[in-house]
Amino acid sequence: MKTIKTIEELHQMLINKEITSDELVKDSLKKAHLLQTKCNAFVTILDDAKGKEVTEDLLSGIPYGIKDNYSTKGILSTGSSNTLKDYVPFFSATAVLNLEKHHVVPIGKTAMDEFGMGGSGTTAHTGNILNPWDTTRMAGGSSSGSAASVAAGVYPFALGSDTGDSIRKPAAFCGIVGYKPTYGMISRYGLFPFASSLDHCGCLTRSVKDAAIVVDAMKGIDKNDLTSWDSQDIHLFESLDGNVKGKKLFYIKEIVNLENYPDASLELKEHLNNFYHTLDYLKEEGVTIEEVSIEQNLINTIFSVYECLSCAEATSNMSNLTGIIFGPRGEGKGVNEMMKEHRTKGFSSLIKRRFVIGSYILQKENQERYFVNAQRVRRLIVDKMKELFKTYDGLIMPVSTGPAPYIDGSKDEITKDNTTNLEEHLQIGNFGGFPSITIPNGFINNLPVGINITGNCYDDANVLNIAYALESKMPYKNQVAPILKEDE
Amino acid sequence: MGKYKAVIGLEMHCEMQSNSKVFSSARNSYNDNPNANIRPLDMAFPGTLPTVNIECIRKSLLMALILNCQIPKYMYFDRKNYYYPDLPKGYQITQMHEPVGVNGHITIDVDGQSKEVLIHDIHLEEDSASLDHYSTISLIDYNRSGVPLLELVTEPCLASSKEAVAFLEYMRRVYQYANVSEADTKKGQIRCDVNVSIMDEDAKELGTKVEIKNVNSFANVATAIEYEIKRQSELKDAGRYDEVEQETRRFDEETGTTIRMRGKVDAIDYKYYVEPNIPKFKIENSWLEEIKKDIPILPRERKLNYQNNLGLSEYDANIIIKEKDYADYFEECVQLGIDPKVAANYLTGPIIAYLNKEGLTLKDFYLIPAYLKEITEEVAKGTISSKQAKDIFNKSLEEKLEPKNYLSDNKQISDEKELEEIINQILENNPSQITEYQNGKTNLFQYFVGQVMKETKGKANPNIVRDILNKKLN
Amino acid sequence: MKFTEELIDDLAAKLLIGLTKEENKLILSEFNIIDETMELITKIPNIKEVEPMTHTLDDFSYTPREDEIEESISIEDILANCDAYEGREVKVPKVVGGE
Repeated sequence: MKTIKTIEELHQMLINKEITSDELVKDSLKKAHLLQTKCNAFVTILDDAKGKEVTEDLLSGIPYGIKDNYSTKGILSTGSSNTLKDYVPFFSATAVLNLEKHHVVPIGKTAMDEFGMGGSGTTAHTGNILNPWDTTRMAGGSSSGSAASVAAGVYPFALGSDTGDSIRKPAAFCGIVGYKPTYGMISRYGLFPFASSLDHCGCLTRSVKDAAIVVDAMKGIDKNDLTSWDSQDIHLFESLDGNVKGKKLFYIKEIVNLENYPDASLELKEHLNNFYHTLDYLKEEGVTIEEVSIEQNLINTIFSVYECLSCAEATSNMSNLTGIIFGPRGEGKGVNEMMKEHRTKGFSSLIKRRFVIGSYILQKENQERYFVNAQRVRRLIVDKMKELFKTYDGLIMPVSTGPAPYIDGSKDEITKDNTTNLEEHLQIGNFGGFPSITIPNGFINNLPVGINITGNCYDDANVLNIAYALESKMPYKNQVAPILKEDE
Repeated sequence: MGKYKAVIGLEMHCEMQSNSKVFSSARNSYNDNPNANIRPLDMAFPGTLPTVNIECIRKSLLMALILNCQIPKYMYFDRKNYYYPDLPKGYQITQMHEPVGVNGHITIDVDGQSKEVLIHDIHLEEDSASLDHYSTISLIDYNRSGVPLLELVTEPCLASSKEAVAFLEYMRRVYQYANVSEADTKKGQIRCDVNVSIMDEDAKELGTKVEIKNVNSFANVATAIEYEIKRQSELKDAGRYDEVEQETRRFDEETGTTIRMRGKVDAIDYKYYVEPNIPKFKIENSWLEEIKKDIPILPRERKLNYQNNLGLSEYDANIIIKEKDYADYFEECVQLGIDPKVAANYLTGPIIAYLNKEGLTLKDFYLIPAYLKEITEEVAKGTISSKQAKDIFNKSLEEKLEPKNYLSDNKQISDEKELEEIINQILENNPSQITEYQNGKTNLFQYFVGQVMKETKGKANPNIVRDILNKKLN
Repeated sequence: MKFTEELIDDLAAKLLIGLTKEENKLILSEFNIIDETMELITKIPNIKEVEPMTHTLDDFSYTPREDEIEESISIEDILANCDAYEGREVKVPKVVGGE
């Protein structure tokens, strides 16, 4: 397995002058262009990027990628939507500004499912984003370009956002680490909203340590985001010691029990077996892992609760996209016609469908049955989790039903089959604002698969430490998809 | 007409005074250059988030307390979703689930009778941008976008346009007295929606409610209500009451009539839901107690005090409480010891006349109560006549000089004997200066004059002083 | 049938969005799936007694913003992404009728 340098290793090389920041940046730009021809991971590649001064700071001089739904001053920020195809903001997201203080170098804006809605990487206005391990497969979404570029080794990290599993699922499909911290640890100011009560900022990296370093630099209370909180006493990177003896984890029986899937594909069987196998590594380190049963009915509602809440909030959040102040003006006689043309032309089919659903759900006569009930079930699920977190340090679960699906079959439609629960359970992490991290835990059909650990709010350091311990027992840390190799 | 009972409810929107807007830190002022008071949220640039202004929370709580409302444990907001070009976010942040105050009441006077008006709720929200219309285009100025608004909703408990206007007038004053708003209708700071229905005198059930949106002056509120009562009554008289529809109408200023906008079936569904970006804010009791201390003495209480304790007529009292500035001026006068009736006469007579003539407010009025007292005191002592007082009042205003300057003219010390005594004392205290003067430092003469003026507080007749000094020193 | 093509077109129109026939059809089927699961929710015992979760973090406290003014965005920045403006203002076709 080919591996590639971590942030710490790159920093050491920069300090020792084995390489300069400029050289790193040039190399990164070259790889970005190459990857673009293969995976279509970028909306913008910043060819003018220059190296920065190297200081004691681990991140100084290091190149990185930014998901295109982060507002970046003076840099095209489209959210991968035609509604903002030419939008150049005059301000940067707080998370980006926080990182800038560490002298990192942005290399590009990564393509994504339009405004983060979708999990396939097939709804970007710049076209499908492909998986660097196998370009007939999807990268997963919505942080598709960020996941693909980090997995291909363009740079050690990229920013992502996660409303349902948009960091953690593409991370699994691309064989890398995806981490979304507790809600509000990173300010959302400047992140184009999808569903405000579920949206999280986070990052994609190739190791847990790198994720800790990056989020340490992104986080912090922000006067512009009232939901952000003071985390200055949390030092993620420093708290990684790999000592997990006595920790307790659980998994949800109803979701991972193979018996629940009588028609299971070979991939699914292998994926679940691999999951149980991975648990052994943690047990060897002194972690207790227990199977917990949760009411099947509650589990079965997760996906619909997510759809209700996210569609409803999205409808409202994206009402500012009318083409009046920014975005291309629509044609039309009156103002309404003009706004309608902008929106009809600008949004992908997927988004339009979600808006209509969201709007129906919020209607006065329907709100109680759909939206408010969904908010109630959200609380039931979150309360259940919080109760379990009193006993356990975290929930450990397989990500998805196996490796990335083929891109051809993907429609990103709302469908339901008996694997939906396995496909969608990461949304629990968004319901509760819980810290949640995916790390790679093997290969199926030569494609990476991932495992996820989710813990209680504010307990990020503990969650990362368990992931760190597990990662150390497996050979997938810092792995890189071999897509750019033959051209080098 | 006349045989039906009208039932009226009001929604009063009032722009709040603050430094910055309610959910952004842009300046709260829209009478500047277009688009000169803008933070990114005010134009809904992607990724922006609302932050609540604590002063707006405080003022909304103050109003809820004044209106004797129940106040919720937590303050939070809702989104009201609709598309309109003056609403950049595509939703207005307002309060639907938990208004800052509910179930309140306030007593007003209508034609000398007291009336309790029931308050359904009062809530904090944001204003929209303003549109300027031209022949084929409209221009959007976002300065007003995000300006804090308080919306006060009464129960349908008013019976006439007179009561409605009395309530609005009274509330306008309360807003001013509480320093919550300038409440200037001319600046468009108050806008009203009016609900009107009619019913038989003895009926138990309310009639069909018609809403008239966006009425911008109190006079128009009265016209709109009267027109609606007439329109509905005529239909009822004609046996066509079923044609009165639950609908939204607008007021047409030119014709003084109301015009249908939309019926109940076309009512906009605003899809209210809780704003997730503003967490619930706990309203601490200790804070409420502090805010309570800022509740001003309301105009009605002041009026009763003026009548019952200070001996003013109802007529004068009514004029004085009309503006908080008047009442404050009057009370300051009384506090300084000016006879209440004298102060009231000055205020309701020459002062208000002068302000109206010059287009000024009391804030710019030169004769502050302390200066006025300089005049009234002398009148009271009998040292000047009321005619002289009037002259001094006018001169002082004209020349922007304290009244005492004109008084001192009248009462200069010209008594030589008195002045000589003062001068002797001064010379005795300054022997070294005398020597210096006599040794040739002649400009010290002016020093001695100055000492005398100081001793007599400027009242000494300078010519006589010079004469005496000349005699003594040379 | 609760969900109809007309209902969906009407919803879309209110969102200022036009739909193709195919999109309309797809929404119909998606609606039905969501509706089925919502049926599950209504069957959860005592669901009405659960307080709806409107915010992500419970027991969250924050300090409201002090009433201080920050400098206005420059007019250049305000209009940089706007396709139609006149002077300092954003221009749209004449707006008629109220909200």
